[in-house]
Amino acid sequence: MNIDPRSHIPIYLQIADGIRDAMATGIYSPGESLPSLRALALDVQVNPNTVQRAYDALAREGLIYSRRGKGLFVAEQGKADARTRAQQAVRRSFDEGIRTGHATGMDTKAVRTVFEASLSAKDSRASNPPARDPAEK
Amino acid sequence: MTTQVDDHAAIELMGLTKQFSRSTAVKDLSLRVDRGSTFGLIGPNGAGKTTTMKMLMGILRPTTGAVTVLGTNVFAEPLVVKQRVGYVPESHHIDRWMRVGEAVGFCRSLYESWNDQTCQQMLDRFELDPNKKVKQLSKGMLVKLSLVLAVSHEPEVLLLDEPMAGLDPLAREEFLDGVLRTICERGQTVIFSTHSLDDVQRLADTVGILYDGRLLVHRNIEELLVMTKRIRATLTGGHPPDCLPENIIWQRVQGREWLVAVGDFTVEKVQQIRAQEGVDRVEVIDLGLEDLFKDFIRERKAVS
Repeated sequence: MNIDPRSHIPIYLQIADGIRDAMATGIYSPGESLPSLRALALDVQVNPNTVQRAYDALAREGLIYSRRGKGLFVAEQGKADARTRAQQAVRRSFDEGIRTGHATGMDTKAVRTVFEASLSAKDSRASNPPARDPAEK
Repeated sequence: MTTQVDDHAAIELMGLTKQFSRSTAVKDLSLRVDRGSTFGLIGPNGAGKTTTMKMLMGILRPTTGAVTVLGTNVFAEPLVVKQRVGYVPESHHIDRWMRVGEAVGFCRSLYESWNDQTCQQMLDRFELDPNKKVKQLSKGMLVKLSLVLAVSHEPEVLLLDEPMAGLDPLAREEFLDGVLRTICERGQTVIFSTHSLDDVQRLADTVGILYDGRLLVHRNIEELLVMTKRIRATLTGGHPPDCLPENIIWQRVQGREWLVAVGDFTVEKVQQIRAQEGVDRVEVIDLGLEDLFKDFIRERKAVS
């Protein structure tokens, strides 16, 4: 999990997101235990209070649950959340683009044109990948 | 009359002012830090951070105001307080001629309680050889020894005055790890000052910005990040609107560009700005701790 202290996103949200990602990619599966506060705090080098806030946020969303004396576990819901989250993330990026467009005086039609152009540029790049530099790792 | 003792406060500073012969280092500083939380104090050089830390530790007496640590007045009962507080000063005062083991023994004799096991574990983890002379230690090793000596009597409050300044990245990481371990194990309150905003992000629950002896803000770090935003707008007439948003931290007009940092950000605030005459293309910019810190300081510099 990568923590960026320079980001405007509070660290506890970065940790919560990191755990969500880990659930989405199957690093943690439903029913499995999560690292203890102490283990995660030392691993990502942040205050355990901050890790606690991340876990609290995930528990409020029903993605993890605690068992007395046994620690924290991934809930069934954790997996279902992954897809919705991916959609939300894409949407957030789009919203950001639309805002920038509107701020610079573009109308919805103009924004859509740019969006379509980026999509088709991406598609053509994917079907014709640029030749790789053999020296590159 | 009995005075109310606040059980939840680890430290409380009330109207603290420190005057030196030629200058006032700290001006009417009031601050309260809850038990079990970590407070990071940031500010440029000469802001009064070390003076504040020294008053907290009872080393410097304030000109006016009161300092309470764990409900005890620091200047009325200095020895009681020292038993319950650990301190890593800006410059380390361990006698250079001693061996590491002797320095440990000396400190051990000053305290009523001392956890030999914690002490040994930390020395081992930091690879501090008891037979080595203090003067032979690198800066990083010295700071780590200073931490061992500051926490082995199991204090409830730990004061760190710019502990990681001048450390190489590896030593810094090891020191941070040492502090985090004591927080994990003992849940003690930590008060630290620093120039490193990364350290604040990693360690602190609440952050205070000190400038020219004054505390500009003291807030939960998450709230501060979420509630402080910079707004960029185009001013068609080249001057800001008549009705300005509340709680402006900093602003600048350059040509037709208006940059304004606001605290207590809300969507309504942006809408209000957008609705005004002569304002066009309003954009909200998220701020990391570094930009936010600069905006707070910039405004003060412009005023003074």
